[in-house]
Amino acid sequence: MRLERRLGQGWPLRRGWPWAGLVLLLLVPLVLPEGFYLDLLMFTFMYAAMSVGWDIMGGYAGYVSLGHVGFFGLGSYAAALLLVHLGLPVFITAPLVGLMASLLGAGLGFISLRTRGPAFVIVTLTFTYVAQLLMLDLKSVTGGSQGLFLPLLDLPANLVIVPFYYGMLALLVIAILVSIAIRRSKFGLGLIAIREDEGKAEASGVNTSLYKILAFAISVWFAGTAGALHAQYLNYVDPDLAFELIITLNLIIMSLFGSRGIVWGPVLGAFILYPLSAYLVFLVPSRVAGQVHLAALGIVLVLVVMFLPDGLIRSYQGWRTKRPKDARPLEARASIVETTG
Amino acid sequence: MSPGLFAQSLVLGVLTGGMYALMAAGLTLIFGVMKVINVAHAAMIVMGAYLSLTLFRHLGIDPLVSVVLLVPVFLGLGALVQWGVVNRLAERDITLTVLMTFGFAIILEGLQGAIWTSSYQGIKTAYSLESFRLFTLYVPVVRLISAGVSLVLLAGLYVMLTFTSLGRAIRATIQNRTAAQLVGVNVRLVTTISFAIGIAIAGAAGPLLGMLFTFYPATHWLWIGKLLAIVVLGGLGSLRGAFVAAMLLGIAEQVTSVTIALDWAPMIFYVFLFGVLVVRPQGLFGTVERQSL
Repeated sequence: MRLERRLGQGWPLRRGWPWAGLVLLLLVPLVLPEGFYLDLLMFTFMYAAMSVGWDIMGGYAGYVSLGHVGFFGLGSYAAALLLVHLGLPVFITAPLVGLMASLLGAGLGFISLRTRGPAFVIVTLTFTYVAQLLMLDLKSVTGGSQGLFLPLLDLPANLVIVPFYYGMLALLVIAILVSIAIRRSKFGLGLIAIREDEGKAEASGVNTSLYKILAFAISVWFAGTAGALHAQYLNYVDPDLAFELIITLNLIIMSLFGSRGIVWGPVLGAFILYPLSAYLVFLVPSRVAGQVHLAALGIVLVLVVMFLPDGLIRSYQGWRTKRPKDARPLEARASIVETTG
Repeated sequence: MSPGLFAQSLVLGVLTGGMYALMAAGLTLIFGVMKVINVAHAAMIVMGAYLSLTLFRHLGIDPLVSVVLLVPVFLGLGALVQWGVVNRLAERDITLTVLMTFGFAIILEGLQGAIWTSSYQGIKTAYSLESFRLFTLYVPVVRLISAGVSLVLLAGLYVMLTFTSLGRAIRATIQNRTAAQLVGVNVRLVTTISFAIGIAIAGAAGPLLGMLFTFYPATHWLWIGKLLAIVVLGGLGSLRGAFVAAMLLGIAEQVTSVTIALDWAPMIFYVFLFGVLVVRPQGLFGTVERQSL
């Protein structure tokens, strides 16, 4: 089959521009050692990596998670505790902390993904709050609302950011490679089949529960790992900082804005939106900045959902190929959305 | 746990549960007709609490009066939002509709923070701290009032759903949207009306929440968790189930806060929520969702 040949062929990136971009980004700290830009780029990488992860579940399988920051926050705490109590450096534990997040994700997936319906939304929505409450209430271990201080990295102040810059960049590269690998695998096809019509996917032999649970476990690995690195970057975790709702919101908006279910969609979304929002935060008086930022992001989400549900890349492709006009979003096209009572 | 203490927890639990039932009723009604979790439901309730607080502080309007004032306002807003925005999307894509209500929740939280700051608030009326003794039991007046108001409103909802033609149309739409449409129910209109009623109930619950509990913009995350636990335990879309589950969880919360610790009381909701999803995803009164190919 032609499709299979296309999927099987070629090592990850056939085109050169992503590699050129990577080389450029690798060189940035040597050319532009100013903290401000490195900080900006580092957070862009972090959001891009987590968005690509979010999209494995939200874009490929079509199950939107409202609780990724729960895994980010627990990742922060796990890394902090491992460092404070056992002296294990975060740069070594981060991938393992991610695996812990994946296990937890698989557990939550087991609760909520065995059936269709709203259980996944309910569980991911409430999970963040549960995780935050746990970290707040387990005072003897986590320090409660006082938070935990992490020992500083032993580096001169102007160089501290460099390992985080490369760490987050590595996370982003891994995210993109994993996403491409999934997209070209039978597993990825199964996920997309689930998104298009779960009943038919199941009927044609896709183990839908297993696929969904696996996709979710992979998806949250990036959030957990990023959370671990972020905790060391700030040298501090507390329940408010670790479970900031804005993080989940950003991941959703970035994926939707760039295009869900396309490898580069969330990357594009993050590279456009993170610098933009970092700039806009400066314009608002700081007294209300947090609140206005939150409301503004909510408005952006509603606007994107209403007017750009297909995202930039897919809309551009649609406009370029001038396909027959079909205003419905992608997943509604192939499947018949029918509710049964 | 002594029998006296248990009886006391029972009384407080039932009184609080009455209000929980009211808050959950709107959520489960909206899910029933639209198959969408209204993530913004608790944020709308908290909005009702803030509006009532402002009316009370600046105009001296009692929160119980603001219940009556807020119902038509929220009914109108709910209808407007549903007809103008949500309905168009819900007919195309349920996932995006959920994301939209998530966006609404965030917008409301941000607005509340910008207008009323993010510090704790509470509506303190002259009778806020009053209570009386019934035999050996301690009964706070505000809890009794809020349970009474909730029961009256829920009874009204029950009568409307059971005995009017609109109620029949709503129940038909909940049971089977396509079949309801085939027998001549205007399901779009019914959906809009049901959504608006759900939001109106949220508006009515706002002042009650403000009287009983302290609140701040982010509290709606706590409340949506509690409400989801209630509607999932009761069976999504089932009003009767939501009522029973609200009572059960109201009591369980009180018992936990007495026997274990106050801090851990909210956790009981999540224990139930996750437990029910594992053991019996359709809840107490729900039906198993059939999967059509």
